[in-house]
Amino acid sequence: MDRELARYGERRLREDGCATCGDVAVPVRVIAVSGREATVEDRAGVRISVAIDFVPDAKAGEILLVHMGVAIGRALEVAL
Amino acid sequence: MRYVDEFRNAELIEKTAQEIRRRVDPSKRYRLMEVCGGHTFSIFRFGIQELLPENIELVHGPGCPVCVLPMGRMDDGLNLAKDPSVIFTAFGDVMRVPGSHGSPLEFKAKGADVRMVYSPLDALKLAVQNPDRQVVFFAIGFETTAPSTALTLLRAREMGVRNFFVLSNHVLILPAIRAILESPDMRIDGFLGPGHVSTVIGARPYEFIARHYGKPVVISGFEPLDLLQSILMLVRQIEEGRAAVENQYSRVVPWDGNRAALAAMAEVFEVRPFFEWRGLGFISQSALKLRPEFAPWDAEVQFEIAGLRVTDPKAAQCGEVLKGVLKPFQCKLFGKTCTPERPVGALMVSSEGACAAYYHHVYARQAVGE
Repeated sequence: MDRELARYGERRLREDGCATCGDVAVPVRVIAVSGREATVEDRAGVRISVAIDFVPDAKAGEILLVHMGVAIGRALEVAL
Repeated sequence: MRYVDEFRNAELIEKTAQEIRRRVDPSKRYRLMEVCGGHTFSIFRFGIQELLPENIELVHGPGCPVCVLPMGRMDDGLNLAKDPSVIFTAFGDVMRVPGSHGSPLEFKAKGADVRMVYSPLDALKLAVQNPDRQVVFFAIGFETTAPSTALTLLRAREMGVRNFFVLSNHVLILPAIRAILESPDMRIDGFLGPGHVSTVIGARPYEFIARHYGKPVVISGFEPLDLLQSILMLVRQIEEGRAAVENQYSRVVPWDGNRAALAAMAEVFEVRPFFEWRGLGFISQSALKLRPEFAPWDAEVQFEIAGLRVTDPKAAQCGEVLKGVLKPFQCKLFGKTCTPERPVGALMVSSEGACAAYYHHVYARQAVGE
């Protein structure tokens, strides 16, 4: 399990499937980037493909915040 | 290990709680509003209120898009689902929201083609796969979700997909906060700002709250220590007589937000003159509609939308709870005619609505004598 992701919240991708709270995003790790899509993995090891239009230059290994299939933010601190 | 434990470290949590107790003036009451439903959920889940001195009261705000969606909008959307050429798509949580004649799930049971999607991009894919059908996406959410809808519309245009339509119910968090601040019975001393909405909009847009209304704002993360640190930052500001916007959640919230996401939203959406919020009434400039350039994909332009208005039951006091005037259990209907199974008012609809959260985490526990 990717424990560093927990710093950015405890949600997993399967818990992002609702808009109940308009303020939910799931921390994920970038596995691979292909054009405007990236394969990402959550804490539980679940992988999906997300749009990375809003996080230009996203790189493999980086932590992103995903909401509804789109990366809306990135971890701003460099991991120690 | 450091990362996992950092924001749930019992010792740090206790230390922060002690610091809060040391800082508060026992002769005063502190009414702090968490704007966001995700915070409400964390506060109940981790028992944050129990760690605070008695004179700090957490008030649960309007940050749940499902809760603030007026029933008439749901009816408007579901009227489209009656058309056999339409595939009606929405997020999972919208599926249970009651319209006057049933929820999307109940419409599905009656034969309408209603499908749950994870992302608006999935709804667009459905449109590509079903060129002879009209796919309507019932869009809902704050600034966290609006960028996804905007991106989907930009892609629909780029791909030339003409059988995909959005019924936009996107709302904006700042006008709702302003409405609460302008309310004559307003009694909030400070705000915990939403974490992920702020990933998109940044911290800067909250400055009017500090400047014009003299109330402190601290943008907060969702872990127990995040919330306690943010509450401490609010108490410090209040005690020092300051009102500023501070960013506790700087590990993901940039001061100026996500420029690319904001640019996409600005390209696709414009602000509506006014929009109805369940429990709060009409709020000016509080919601997003598609710009005229996106009319070919705008369900409000391409379909007949009745613009239904359905009044909420008078006895439900959602507005007072949303503004922090009443606690959930002080509403006359709470736990009696209004329960999560059969919600009457808006705040009981979704698990992160203040009433439902209270019902699940406090009331139900008390009911079984825990």
